[in-house]
Amino acid sequence: MRSDTYTIIFTMIVTVILGLGLSITADSLRDKQVLNVELDIKKNILSVLGFKKDGKWSDEEVQLLYDKNINEIIINSAGQQVEELSNSSDSRYTIYESRKSNKITGYAIPIAGKGLWGTMYGYFAIEPDASTVKGITFYKHKETPGLGGEVDKDWFKNNFVGKKLVDINGSLVSIEVVKGYVSSTDPNAKHKVDGISGATITGKGVTTFLKSDLEKYEPYFAKIRKLNEIESL
Amino acid sequence: MKLSLFNSKNKKIIKDPLMGENPISIHVLGICSALAITTKIDTAVVMTIAVVAVLSISNIVISLLRNHIPNKVRIIVQMSVVASLVIITDQVLKAYMYDMSKLLGVFLGLIITNCIVLGRAEAFAMQNSPSKALLDGMGNGLGYGAILIVVAFFRELFGFGSIYGVPVITETIFMSGYENNGLMILSPGAFFILGLIVWAHRSYTKVIDKD
Repeated sequence: MRSDTYTIIFTMIVTVILGLGLSITADSLRDKQVLNVELDIKKNILSVLGFKKDGKWSDEEVQLLYDKNINEIIINSAGQQVEELSNSSDSRYTIYESRKSNKITGYAIPIAGKGLWGTMYGYFAIEPDASTVKGITFYKHKETPGLGGEVDKDWFKNNFVGKKLVDINGSLVSIEVVKGYVSSTDPNAKHKVDGISGATITGKGVTTFLKSDLEKYEPYFAKIRKLNEIESL
Repeated sequence: MKLSLFNSKNKKIIKDPLMGENPISIHVLGICSALAITTKIDTAVVMTIAVVAVLSISNIVISLLRNHIPNKVRIIVQMSVVASLVIITDQVLKAYMYDMSKLLGVFLGLIITNCIVLGRAEAFAMQNSPSKALLDGMGNGLGYGAILIVVAFFRELFGFGSIYGVPVITETIFMSGYENNGLMILSPGAFFILGLIVWAHRSYTKVIDKD
């Protein structure tokens, strides 16, 4: 039997060594981790806007492509483009605009909201016509792998491409994730996508936050649709 | 005295947990994660690698400390070592294998609560030399992983119609009325598969609970 003093000293030494080890590891890896997160976000913005590559992008390629093609713009709640907010109580929304030889090829907006286990984060991309879906992606979520976790798989994301955000009158309806499959006879099929089996709550979550996020950006996109309409006349 | 790492006694240490002393099917440990991450083979494989790493290192560390740990606080010390190792593994994955760390998400952190890690530290590493503890850690990690991958194989095959992400059930089979079994994707599916594996494995190894 060891003395109590030995026990206390031993525990203290172990705690200090483990604590030190942990903080050193965390501290020395932090820069690399922050960089990974940033690159991952940029990679997601690029991929949702349709930049594709067979195999993996290298870190430098992501940085280069992003700097060359993506333009970050800030809008306020009225949908006006601003340099920086004049009134700090106003909401600040970011839009990522992709351009190719000075022509806009798409808009990406950040989306986030509750899934089953936690908040899901991603990006949603819209075609230059401001009414057709260009793509969707999730970069952070806590959904069950194989069930709700399927939101970041290609088969689910590809369902969104080409769907319509607005009805024929031009008002926002958003996209709904249904339970099971979208019936081909459904007149609203162009506003709906197939759900994930075994992940009904995740699907409902996506439907809810997609709508509320799109509503925030609606003033800006409504203006773009109007502009497009005038131009086409 | 010359001591080979792989003499017959040491071979037994690493081989036993794979068959006769399997942590999942014989000792029924680590069931929670066996249910949670076995919907697909790729997550099961990555989880296996992480558990083998944590289990081997924690066994070595505990074995090195075994003659100094006061008996009263031994579980707390083991727990702290295991928890620290899991956090370090998580941090390293986040820095160098970001995609893999995203794939595992919360389940990597949950290795801390995997009874196998603490169980091996208490039952084996506290009594044996570091080299033996390493073999025991590897053996148990692989024994755990083997069951995980077998369960994941059946769940992915019947639940998604694919093996390791490659579709194997062809369109013609689906056309003739076959459907993926949704139960396999949910936790009860894992219980059924795991139960059948435990049954098969125990009748093969002739292990019977004595009571």
